[in-house]
Amino acid sequence: MNLALTELRRRPSRFTVATIVLTFLSLLLLLLGGLLDGLYLGSTGAIRAQDADAIVYSETARDSFLRSRLTSDVRDAVEGVDGVDMVGGLGFTLLGAVVPGERELADVAIVGYELAPDGVPDPPPAGHAWADSTLQDAGVSIGDTLLLGPAATPIVVDAWVDDTNYLQQSGLWVTLDTWRAVQNANRPDAFVVEGVVQVLVVRGDGDLRSTIDTATGTTSTLTREEAVNALPGVEQQRSTFNAIIFSTLAVVLAVVGLFFSLLTLERIGLYGVLKAIGASTRRLFGGVVVQAVVVAVIAFVIGGSLAALVDRALSGDVPLQLTIGRYAFTFAALVVAAVLGSAISLRRVTRIDPASAIGSAT
Amino acid sequence: MSPAGALCHSDGVFLALNEMRRAKVRFGLLAGAVGLLVFLILFQQALLSGLVNQFIGALKNQSADVLVYNSQARKNLEGSIILPDQQAAIETVDGVAVSAPLGEGTFTVIAGDEEQDAVVFGYRLGGPGEPTTLIEGRLPEVPGEAVASSRNAEDGFDIGDTVELVPNLGGVATTFQVVGLAEEINYSVSPVLFVDFADYEAARRGVNPDATDVLPSVIAVRVADGAVAEQVAGAISEAVDGTEALTRQQAVDGSPGVASVRQSFSVILLLFYLVVPLVTGLFFLIVTFQKAGALTLLRAIGSPAGTLVRSLLIQVVIVVLAGAALATVLFWLTARGGAGGLGITVEPKPVIATTLAVLVLSLLTSLAAARRVLRIDPIAATTGAGVQV
Repeated sequence: MNLALTELRRRPSRFTVATIVLTFLSLLLLLLGGLLDGLYLGSTGAIRAQDADAIVYSETARDSFLRSRLTSDVRDAVEGVDGVDMVGGLGFTLLGAVVPGERELADVAIVGYELAPDGVPDPPPAGHAWADSTLQDAGVSIGDTLLLGPAATPIVVDAWVDDTNYLQQSGLWVTLDTWRAVQNANRPDAFVVEGVVQVLVVRGDGDLRSTIDTATGTTSTLTREEAVNALPGVEQQRSTFNAIIFSTLAVVLAVVGLFFSLLTLERIGLYGVLKAIGASTRRLFGGVVVQAVVVAVIAFVIGGSLAALVDRALSGDVPLQLTIGRYAFTFAALVVAAVLGSAISLRRVTRIDPASAIGSAT
Repeated sequence: MSPAGALCHSDGVFLALNEMRRAKVRFGLLAGAVGLLVFLILFQQALLSGLVNQFIGALKNQSADVLVYNSQARKNLEGSIILPDQQAAIETVDGVAVSAPLGEGTFTVIAGDEEQDAVVFGYRLGGPGEPTTLIEGRLPEVPGEAVASSRNAEDGFDIGDTVELVPNLGGVATTFQVVGLAEEINYSVSPVLFVDFADYEAARRGVNPDATDVLPSVIAVRVADGAVAEQVAGAISEAVDGTEALTRQQAVDGSPGVASVRQSFSVILLLFYLVVPLVTGLFFLIVTFQKAGALTLLRAIGSPAGTLVRSLLIQVVIVVLAGAALATVLFWLTARGGAGGLGITVEPKPVIATTLAVLVLSLLTSLAAARRVLRIDPIAATTGAGVQV
């Protein structure tokens, strides 16, 4: 162990190129993961926040919030189902908003709701909204009146809420009546009359999915997690980015394996001598693993710092979101790949015969 | 090796191949790493192109020179509506030859006996906004007919197929017969139907019987002969309050997500392009250090430095080409698997271009190893020294 660390300290140049390559790879892993997280979190916040045991759509909507339309008759039927405790309407409208004093419009998702989701207070007064804190980047302040859509419907921002965005647009949480007023003023083709909502948020016990759909005959009910995954692109983005991330990890493994097997090859004579004077295979291999982990950790620290700089440099339109969880995952994945990669040298270290030290060590 | 003992020029190949044969795992691991990296580059390039084409194909391949959005929509077709007075004002702007409504919406349809999502574009038949990449059949001539995206022909959108838009409670179903197929007209990675605007209106009312009005998403404009689309777009934006007119290309480039997807992928691809030559350069640099003694000896017995460098470069070429071959196979398998319905296809041009770029970059980074070889002093063979660090 000491020998491995001493070599790292005294001959750092030997490990420089491997560190640079791993730094690039850790930067890549963080950027890829950050994009995946940014796309996921920015699209699903409003649904993840729901304190719901089931979300009910109209059967014809194919689990799309914007295409779903439920009348008060359906709501009555859902409320009458055994096990249903609370039912609340929910509706979304995606619009541009004029922010006072700003030239650029802000993208907003107006969310009409009845049952307060986690982290969102009970509905505000009519014409007022709780706004997602990401709107601060668009220049919005508490007390501002935003003008929504072509009809310039005014909405006053009362307070901030966090992580409640929908399809990359900042959430504005309003009463159902305010939502209907905004929707009807700006989207006459998607007019909603009194009592109509897009979906129903249900709290209760038991197998709500099948009992609700059986009772109504015209609905499709999902759990909250299923509703999140049913959002456009969420599953596809996750599978595509994860495939790229895990392929990149395979490259990390190959690079570490390649580098340390070459290094081991170079040290065969030295290892022969060390074995001859009593060093165990375990101790020698442990040294290789320690070096691989140290190189990976240094690469991660530099790569992580670079990722934070890239995050600052990229425009706000790029949905990059570097979370603590992503840093932790990347760190763990890099260390595991480094350990596994260095294990490729194990066979060679094991096969070294101490007798070879006689006359061959350099 | 030449009979005289020293290596001649042709022995560079012999030396390179012989060494690779004897260290299959080492070179195999490198070729595998390069292969995976090149595969990731190819896949992401295709993904970017597939994403962009399948997200905005319908905008790119329609006939309007200029599309007029509501300025509140931020170039988002889904979020745009044009009010009747805006439409009337657009018609009067200089340079506008023809203007017509263009509506867009995503609907649940039954096609091929299955419920699917489909995006419907409603345009005035014969007017601007019609698909321009018809490859089979004809354009719609009367209401009830549609041109579908050729990519989805096998999913129930082929010529002669009937597609039914599923209505919501209280609404009336709208049906279309597919009379033509156009390529690269997908939108939001969904099947697309280009239909008469009246059919689009009926479809909207079918899913929302409470709709008070169905307004066009944008106005499609054909500019007058001799007029420049960009100038006409500028004139419309200036003359008609609350609108943002864009040329077709501006509409494509400005579509939500397109610019940010391009920017994100550019950064990632740049990093991948840097990593491949770095890995290759690192490998050959280390190998050169390890072979220092043998290389010095070869130089001492008369082998020209050029031959040793050539041997090194031949190995770089073989490793990169083997990696590229592996990458192409992986890419082909991924494309065959469907790759998330993005229609990724293996095309020779990007594969060859990527391979050449990676090869050139790898050869450049391997010059560090070549430089070490050139710096070998044959006299060092008598002292036991190898490559100078």
